[in-house]
Amino acid sequence: MAEFIPIAIFLFVLFLLLGTGVWVGLALLGVAFVGMELFTSRPVGDAMMTIIWRSASSWSLTALPLFIWMGEILFRTRLSEDMFKGLAPWMARLPGGLLHTNVVGCTVFAAVSGSSAATLTTVGKMSIPELRKRNYPEHLVIGTLAGAATLGLMIPPSLTLIVYGVTINESITKLFMAGIFPGLVLALMFMAYVGLVSRFSRSYKPDPEPVTSLIDKVKNSRFLIPVLVLIFFVIGSMYGGFATATEAAAIGVLGALVLAAGQGSLNIKTFVESLMGAMRTSAMIALILAGASFLSLSMGFTGLPRALAEWIGSLGLTRFELLMALLVFYIVIGCFLDGISSVVLTIAVVEPMVRQAGIDIIWFGIFIVVVVEMAQITPPIGFNLFVMQGMTGHEMNFVARAAFPMFLIMVVMVFVLIAFPELATWLPANIRQHAGG
Amino acid sequence: MTSRADKHLIRRTLDGLYNAGGVAAAVCLVAILFVIVAQMVTRWTNISIPGLNEYAGYLMASASFLAFAHALNSGSHIRVNLFITALGEHKFWGELWCMIIGTAASAYLAWYSIRLVYWSNKLGDLSQGQDATPMWIPQTPMAVGAVLLAICFADNLVTLVMRGRDNIGSDAIAQSHGE
Repeated sequence: MAEFIPIAIFLFVLFLLLGTGVWVGLALLGVAFVGMELFTSRPVGDAMMTIIWRSASSWSLTALPLFIWMGEILFRTRLSEDMFKGLAPWMARLPGGLLHTNVVGCTVFAAVSGSSAATLTTVGKMSIPELRKRNYPEHLVIGTLAGAATLGLMIPPSLTLIVYGVTINESITKLFMAGIFPGLVLALMFMAYVGLVSRFSRSYKPDPEPVTSLIDKVKNSRFLIPVLVLIFFVIGSMYGGFATATEAAAIGVLGALVLAAGQGSLNIKTFVESLMGAMRTSAMIALILAGASFLSLSMGFTGLPRALAEWIGSLGLTRFELLMALLVFYIVIGCFLDGISSVVLTIAVVEPMVRQAGIDIIWFGIFIVVVVEMAQITPPIGFNLFVMQGMTGHEMNFVARAAFPMFLIMVVMVFVLIAFPELATWLPANIRQHAGG
Repeated sequence: MTSRADKHLIRRTLDGLYNAGGVAAAVCLVAILFVIVAQMVTRWTNISIPGLNEYAGYLMASASFLAFAHALNSGSHIRVNLFITALGEHKFWGELWCMIIGTAASAYLAWYSIRLVYWSNKLGDLSQGQDATPMWIPQTPMAVGAVLLAICFADNLVTLVMRGRDNIGSDAIAQSHGE
C-alpha cells in the first residue's frame, strides 16, 4: 500500500485547493508543485518555468485571444436585434413558431463566437423580450435558449476546442471542422423538440405572426447577410486550407471590425471595451493553461495516467463502456468545474486511456465538448444558468428545470455521436491542405 | 476597486500598475493581430519575413502574463465558489486561506520567472526558431507580469487582513465568456 500514499496526498491536495476556492490556475500550479516534490528529485521551479514558457508562448494559442476578441466586437454591435428581425419571418411558419429563432440565432452566433455564454447573451437580449410579448411559454423560451447557446462551444470557433487542441497537440482546424456537423445535428434536434412540444403541449398558444411576403422576408434579413459572409470567410478559409485557425481568427477580427464599422456601432469606446474584455478573458484562460501545463508534467512523474490507462485496459471494457464511464465522470466533474478547467485538468489522465482504447482523438474532442456543454446547463455551477438567471431574474431552480429537456437531448446527441462517428470524422479528413499547420 | 477620491497614494500607484499591465497586454493583443495578418500577407505574396511565428508566440505570452494582475482585481479569474459561499459569515477565513495560497503560488512563479530571465541572459540562450532572438528579451514581459501578479496577491492579502475585504471585483462576464 505504501506506494499509494504519495498518490493519495497528491489527489488530496488537488481536491483541497480546488475545493476551497483557490483560483483554478494557481490551484493546478500548487498541486503540480506538490506532485513534483513527492515524485522527483528534479529542480522543480526551473522545470516549471521551462514548461510554462513553452506552453504560454505557443503560436497555436494565439487563435484563442483573437477569436475571443472577434466575439467581443460582435457582441457590442446591433447584431442581436438584426438577428431576431432577420430570422423571425422565416421561422414563423415552422411548427413551434418563433421559438426556432432561439435555436437558429444561437447556431448563427455560435459560428462567430467561441463562447456559449456570449452566444446566450447576444441572442437572448432580443429574443427573450420579443418572445414574451408574443406569449410563448416562459419555460420553453428559457430552456431552448439555455440549451441552444451551448452550441457556441461546438460550432467553430470554439474556445474549448482550441484549448483541447493545444493541450493534446492536435490540429485546431481539424477539431473545428469536426464540430460543424455534430453542431448542426444538435441544432436540428433542438428544433425537432420545439416542433414536437408545440404540437403536444396545451399551454402552447403563442400569438400568430402576420403573414409576410417573400420580398419582405428578404428585406428584413438583409442585415444578416454581412454576418453570414463573415462566417463563410472564417470557416471557408480554414476548410479551403487557405488559412490556419489562427489566421482565420485574424480574418475574423478584421471582418468583425468592418462589420461593426458598417453598422455604425464601432467607436473608440466599443473598440477599447472589446479589446479589454478579450484581454481579460484570455488572461483568465491563460492562467489555467499555465497551471495545467505544469500539472501535466507533474502528472507524468506521478505515473497516474499510465497506471490508470493500464488499469482500464486490464478491465477489458468495450469502447462503449469506457465512453459511458467517461460520460458519467465528466458530468460529475462538470457540476463543480467550468468546461475549460475540467478539460485541462483531466486530459493528461484521459488521453492515454482514450488512445489506448483506439478512440479517434479528434472525435473524442467533440465528445468531450458535448459532455462539457451539458455541464453548462446543470446546477450548481452551470455558467449558462447563471447568465440566464441574471438576464431573466428567475430562480436558479426554474432555469435549471426549464433547461433539463435540453440536457436530455444532449445525452441523446452523445449516443448519436457514438453510433455515427463519421459525423465528426468525415469533414476533418477532407480538408484541403495549402497552409502549413 | 474603490472609487473614492481620497484614495491613498500607494493604492493609486498599485492600481495604476495593474492597469498599466492590462493596457500593455491589450497592446500585445493588437500586435498579435498585426503579426498574424503580416504572416498571411507575406505568404500570399511570397515575401518571407523569418520568425513571425515566434514573435506571435512571444506576444501571446506577454499578453497573458501582463494581464494576470489586472484580471485578478477585476475578478476575471475562475475559482470554485461553493465552499466560500457555504462559509457564510465565516467567509473571511476561507478568503484568507485562498489569498495565502495565491500569494505563495504567485510569488513562487514570479521568483522562478525572474531566474529564467536571469539565466537566459547569462547563458546567452537564443531562440530555436528562425528569429534567433535572445530568449531573455521575450521572457522579460512574462517575468514582469508574474511579479505584478505576486504584488497584486500580496496587496490583496494585506488589504484583506487590514480591512476585512479584498480589492477583487466581480466580473462574471469575463469568466463566462471563457465558456
